[in-house]
Amino acid sequence: MPQTENASREKILARIRTALREPAPRHERSEARAIFAPVTDLLDRFQKECTINITECVMIPDSRSAGTAVRDLLAAIPPGEIFVQDSPDLRQLAAAWQDGREIQWSSEGGPKEASQATISGCEVLVAQTGSVLVSAACGGRGASVVAPVHIVVATVAQLVPDISAALARVQERGIVAQSSYLCLITGSSRTADIEKILVMGAHGPRRLIVVLAMS
Amino acid sequence: MSTAAQEFLRRSIEKSADLTHKQIIRRGIDQYNTANDRGRMRFADWEAARQRCHEIKWEALNNLDRYLLEFEQRAKERGAHVFWAENSAEACRYITELATSRGVHKVVKSKSMVAEEIHLTPALEKAGVQVVETDLGEYIVQLRDEPPYHIVTPAMHLTRKDIADLFKEKLGDVDTDDPVELVAVARRALRRDFFSGEMGISGANFLVADSGMIALTTNEGNGRLCTSLPRIHVALAGIEKVIPKLQDLALLWPVLATAGTGQPITCYSTLIGGPRKPNEVDGPEEFHIVLLDNGRSELLADVEQRDVLHCIRCGACLNACPVFRTVGGHSYGTTYPGPIGSVLTPHLRGLNEFQHLSYASSLCGACTDSCPVKIDLHHHLLENRRNAVNGAERPWSERIGFKIWQWTMQSASRFRILGGLARAALRVAHRLGLDGTPLDPMGPWSKNHAAPRVPKKSFRALWGKNNAAN
Repeated sequence: MPQTENASREKILARIRTALREPAPRHERSEARAIFAPVTDLLDRFQKECTINITECVMIPDSRSAGTAVRDLLAAIPPGEIFVQDSPDLRQLAAAWQDGREIQWSSEGGPKEASQATISGCEVLVAQTGSVLVSAACGGRGASVVAPVHIVVATVAQLVPDISAALARVQERGIVAQSSYLCLITGSSRTADIEKILVMGAHGPRRLIVVLAMS
Repeated sequence: MSTAAQEFLRRSIEKSADLTHKQIIRRGIDQYNTANDRGRMRFADWEAARQRCHEIKWEALNNLDRYLLEFEQRAKERGAHVFWAENSAEACRYITELATSRGVHKVVKSKSMVAEEIHLTPALEKAGVQVVETDLGEYIVQLRDEPPYHIVTPAMHLTRKDIADLFKEKLGDVDTDDPVELVAVARRALRRDFFSGEMGISGANFLVADSGMIALTTNEGNGRLCTSLPRIHVALAGIEKVIPKLQDLALLWPVLATAGTGQPITCYSTLIGGPRKPNEVDGPEEFHIVLLDNGRSELLADVEQRDVLHCIRCGACLNACPVFRTVGGHSYGTTYPGPIGSVLTPHLRGLNEFQHLSYASSLCGACTDSCPVKIDLHHHLLENRRNAVNGAERPWSERIGFKIWQWTMQSASRFRILGGLARAALRVAHRLGLDGTPLDPMGPWSKNHAAPRVPKKSFRALWGKNNAAN
């Protein structure tokens, strides 16, 4: 085991303290101005942002119809195992879409390389950027990145106006303190490393789908 | 002139005449500009955002010891190991020893400029550990055995054909230059590595003091795979990366994305604090954070340039810089190219050897305007020039030249007499046919520009004559 308590720590801290004896100048603070325009219609903004960042947003009337919506989505996905966050809600939902599909529940370990899709919940939805905030509790770290399709089952009650509200929410609820991992996901995996041309599905999912229940 | 300066000049001359290079870079930067313009429009007030980011980083840097200790304590409470490294050697040694003591054969690496700075990959390879770069751009330059060209888009200088040829040679069985297909080829190749790597190495865009978490920004998802699948995760970050609060990310994330690529926010804004918890599904068993100084605390002591440590490595100043666009990222021969590299490198690697970079600028100020944390880049270049003249070695001819200049400029009569002598000497030299010969007094100038013909009369003489006529 390499040493964690190390001599350099004190040396670096001492140098920092000596360096900071003289304060640095700072740019004049101007009067506080609004940096972002306030987000008013949460659902409308979320849907618009999903279009921009290439998230598929499937609207359903209520949570009970989520099973049917997931079944329709899975019909277009090649046969193979589906990785699902082990939660009472998603267990209940599975009956409606399973239809002979093999399921790996998150309680049985992380997703396998061959899994075809992940179904999970999320902590918060962010209207400002059309993002989905997941924690390690939403099926683990690999859930939202290994499979080529990620289906998020959520309700409009999870919508918050902006990133600031989303971070405040997960902090207040103790999710930040309890989780070793959180990820604010905005659209599916992409790269523009070849000639700045946008290509979807670099290392993570090619498709991110939010099944969003109105109630 | 230092060797680094000679090399810089040689490569710059070569690159600025390379028309293909010019075309590729122009296209890349045009696309960036369009996206960046659109991205800034999403802010009600981009200038207020820059100001606020400046204030966040100012607060962090000017209380650096306090925030680092807070970060360390909270990260340790979450089960992270925190190691402080004074320099490259110490950081490399810690990570290499960790890898060998844990029986690691393969490391999957997410993009990290600090890892480039400390030359981590060669150190691990020397210890017999295979290192796989997993960011697509980094993977491409690694296959080419090249350093990254740009801090955000490492393979910016290559065409799809270059990349197709490279994949054909190194990976075989590639018969396309379609970017979609090429990305799929890399995805397939790297999947095997993600699932077999025992250690993942990442950088950190921010170290969040009040939460003890690191924030990692990626688009491809490779950073997430590197930090989720292997049994050990090592995050490497400069000490200047700390920020006070989790809430600060509500602004820093969108600003970094906008300045970096023009996106409203990057695809994956990840927060990692500690190894997998007992009730969690997956994640590494061990999480190590290496905090690197490597000259940063000395730069912190330079009050005038302390704000250079505010840099969030977005690459905006590279894209804005006419010199970067002309000479390209590799000509600098430094880890950090472009304006921020020209300011920072003399601090990290010595002003004497790298003072020439202070002159690799037209001082147009485009870098300063583009900086999302308001670093006064072009004035720092001027300060480095001043410091170089005061402290470092300059040729004696330059020193004497400026002494004479100073003496001349301090008196109107000296200026008139010496100006007249100089004008006469230049006209005589021209009449004697010395233009372009080693004896040409305008030699250094006319090497790169057409030398102007010296007029018979001075400006002052003409002014006097014309005013008298009126």
